[in-house]
Amino acid sequence: MSAVNIWEKMLNIDRRWIFLGIGVVSIVPFFINFGMPVRTTREVESIYDYVDELGSDNAIFISFDFAPGTSAENMPMAVAVMRHAFYNDIPVFMTANYPLHHGMMLAAMEYVFNPTTEGFYEDVDFEDWKDLREAGVTGKYELIEAWENQGNQLPEGALGWVFEGRDYAALGYAPVFNLVILGMTVSIETQYPVDAHGNSTGEMPMLQEHKSLREVDMALTSSGSGACVWWVTYAREKMGLPIAFGLTAVMATDYFPYLQAGQVIGQMGGLRGAAEYEVLLTENGITPSTDKAFRGMDVQSAAHILIILLIIMGNIAFFAGGFHKKTLLKGGR
Amino acid sequence: MKRTVPLMIVMVGGILMMLQYFIPHQISQTVFAYYTDWTPIIVAFALVLGVGSLTRIHSHKIRRKAKNWQYSYAVLIPLFGMPILAHLWPESISGGMDSPSIFHFIFMHIQVPIQATMFSLLAFYIASAAFRAFRAKSALATVLLLAAVVVMLGQVPIGELLGRWLPETGLWILRYPNLAAKRAIMLGVGFGILATSLKIIFGVERNWLGGAGK
Amino acid sequence: MRKNWIVVPALMILLLLPALSVAQSVDEILTPAAEVQLEQPDPGLDVPGTITVLDRKNDAGDLLVVSFEQPLYTDGIFAYNVYRRVAGESDAEAWNLVEIIPADEPPEFIDGYDPEYPINSGVLYEYRIASVNIDGEEFFGPVFEAGTVSVGEIYHTGKTRVLIAGGLFIFLIFYYFAKAQRGAKMYLRPIAGIEAIDEAIGRATEMGKPILYVPGLSSIADVATIASLTILGRVAKKIAVYQTPLIVPNRDPIVFTVAEEVVKQAYLEAGRPDAYDPDSVFFLTTSQFAFVAGVNGMMMREKPATNFYLGMFWAESLLLAETGSLSGAIQIAGTDAVTQLPFFITTCDYTLIGEELYAASAYLGQEPKQIGALKGQDACKGIIMGFITVALIFGIIDVVANTHILDWLRDLVTSPIME
Repeated sequence: MSAVNIWEKMLNIDRRWIFLGIGVVSIVPFFINFGMPVRTTREVESIYDYVDELGSDNAIFISFDFAPGTSAENMPMAVAVMRHAFYNDIPVFMTANYPLHHGMMLAAMEYVFNPTTEGFYEDVDFEDWKDLREAGVTGKYELIEAWENQGNQLPEGALGWVFEGRDYAALGYAPVFNLVILGMTVSIETQYPVDAHGNSTGEMPMLQEHKSLREVDMALTSSGSGACVWWVTYAREKMGLPIAFGLTAVMATDYFPYLQAGQVIGQMGGLRGAAEYEVLLTENGITPSTDKAFRGMDVQSAAHILIILLIIMGNIAFFAGGFHKKTLLKGGR
Repeated sequence: MKRTVPLMIVMVGGILMMLQYFIPHQISQTVFAYYTDWTPIIVAFALVLGVGSLTRIHSHKIRRKAKNWQYSYAVLIPLFGMPILAHLWPESISGGMDSPSIFHFIFMHIQVPIQATMFSLLAFYIASAAFRAFRAKSALATVLLLAAVVVMLGQVPIGELLGRWLPETGLWILRYPNLAAKRAIMLGVGFGILATSLKIIFGVERNWLGGAGK
Repeated sequence: MRKNWIVVPALMILLLLPALSVAQSVDEILTPAAEVQLEQPDPGLDVPGTITVLDRKNDAGDLLVVSFEQPLYTDGIFAYNVYRRVAGESDAEAWNLVEIIPADEPPEFIDGYDPEYPINSGVLYEYRIASVNIDGEEFFGPVFEAGTVSVGEIYHTGKTRVLIAGGLFIFLIFYYFAKAQRGAKMYLRPIAGIEAIDEAIGRATEMGKPILYVPGLSSIADVATIASLTILGRVAKKIAVYQTPLIVPNRDPIVFTVAEEVVKQAYLEAGRPDAYDPDSVFFLTTSQFAFVAGVNGMMMREKPATNFYLGMFWAESLLLAETGSLSGAIQIAGTDAVTQLPFFITTCDYTLIGEELYAASAYLGQEPKQIGALKGQDACKGIIMGFITVALIFGIIDVVANTHILDWLRDLVTSPIME
């Protein structure tokens, strides 16, 4: 076998070897935890700082604009901001722009309210605190006091109580979502007369205090598609609602112009962005430990290194084999 | 007639929407609200047509025992099975999305993993495409190659360990040269959209109504 | 809204102030004003003065700008409750609480945003404002009738720049339409991807294999989808002549119905209505990755000789194109999704970049008006390039001479992002 043939073989390597390599480097870091440090960037810090300034008088939207496909990237972002909001007692409206995304919203709630999650929140159903609501106890702190006076005890490991209708409203999916955003600039209740669990939104204290998007302080769209721009077009441009983007890594570069133009307050790009938010939460004592995105960064490091090695290998073969002198080469088919 | 009426609707609708942007008056808002009320209704009807098309094609395939006809069952059974399941065990108004229902189980344990699998294929394909595409064939290709390596390393913690300058340079590439190029393309796209919209509104471009021009 | 967060520290300062002043009064001689303040018994809070109501410009006639004079003595005032009712009503129940303004915020707000209490155009309202103390007790000021009613405007004065720019660009495109129709010769830069379309169709015909055409994954509201459908019409017409099988999977039900009509009509115009297969255009699913799985499956089973991906694509672009390249098809892609372009460029044989997708229909049709529109686009870009160059020069001058002419230019040509 001549030397040229080796280089040619290297260039035309069966892509299944590459797939195998990626498979291996994706699995191994799950067993060997490197825990490499993640440094935060200003794009993510600006979202964190903004949310951190808010309190129980404010409200935010978290829009689940992603399908299960991109949930590995998008879910940690939504979960991180949700936990930050719950920690600061900021009421959270949750929406979804597609039926499948509705399922993602419920999955996120399930995760944050699940006692097996480290640093979970104890959820109180809308119906369960009906008597207190009807007695006019709707402020967060008086509500916690009254609730605990009724003999309810915060489970061990839980970071706090969250009351449905006071701390969050799972609004969910509504068809033609861009028009729903537009409608919510006038009234949230007309767009969502009931929430995802069939509760009347008109009875929810948080909807009585925040009737339209004008009375909301931020919307995070954790998005796997171009739907994130709807929030800018219909909410930001119409009435100046601050928007934060949570985007997949592939999309992230596409949306930098919105950031530079000041149309969004910040942007979390891919797993890295989510990991940065998790680091900020942990560093500031909001969550006891970092979460899935941070763990995933090891995998991403390993995969990027492998891709770079492959590129170097390809170029060595390209030059050593003398292919740079030829005009065209189609390899790998 | 068959084409004149739709063209008229497009023209009137297009011009109205253009004018609407500049008129804040209540009448203009009402027209816009009227339009936004209509859209979801049309979408709902179109979905019926879509599901009808899918059902027709796959039942044809099964009836004719066409090539790979067995797969058609894999389309038709879940297509009708999921809505039926959602309404047989509706745990809530949301169509049985809450945890105990069978619908929720299938959604979380079949649909979510399948879709995540499809998306994760990207990692494999990106690796294979990067291997083939990033060759230092010319000076420009070399610049592209180096930029790609810096950005890739800058995005992950290991880049940080190699040197602070790596993530910073990576971000700089994303924030400035990358944005400049994107803006140029976006401006071109913007004018393309403007011209195409005008062609459609004024009936210069009629292909989308069926048929190749004229 | 961020209404009250600052109230807590402000209130603490307010509460501390009297204590401080009492402490200081031991050593200091009281000023007459302070004396009055201290000696006042506590009959209640001072109330706001005149309320001014103005019509808000550039609205639908559903907003009023309300401002009021703050009371002379603001001690103990926690917030102001603003009430509104239709003028002339005597019923006390008719007063609606439309706004609560914390004492430390400016005494001004825009009324009409609350969906429960909208403002109707042409209706005269009256207002009264109460000072509220920490216990929620209200001390009402006098009732003021609004001096004006809300009127909707016919033209939004804030959008004049958009009108000028939009008008100019539209004029340029129409100018070149007309010029092309008069028979002016216009040069079109050859685009390899478009020229390859015929070759790609021919290849499929020779091989006796189908052609796959994906019109993007977006809705009909996306102009890229419409551009793709116009290309589909022209491509389908050629395919009809050669009688090559065509596969058009759709993700959006409306796009599906339009695509079906487009293909049917193309076969009719090509004189081959009999060759049209009603199963060739179909709806697949609205789910992004399920759509990819479906199309990829078709590529691997049917092995189409040529794949077209024209329209709007997201993360699925590489999944489609890489599978297509694996199946050995010739691939022509085109999208205005900038992020997906690298994926198409690396895996497809030809890629239409951004606006080339919109230009493709004109290239394929070679109709004068279509080509005129392309020239119009170029002229528009010329103007933008001119502005960028001027801005660059101004930016340099600003840095060198420490001036602010770039800001002046920006203010001149841009509109605020918000309405």
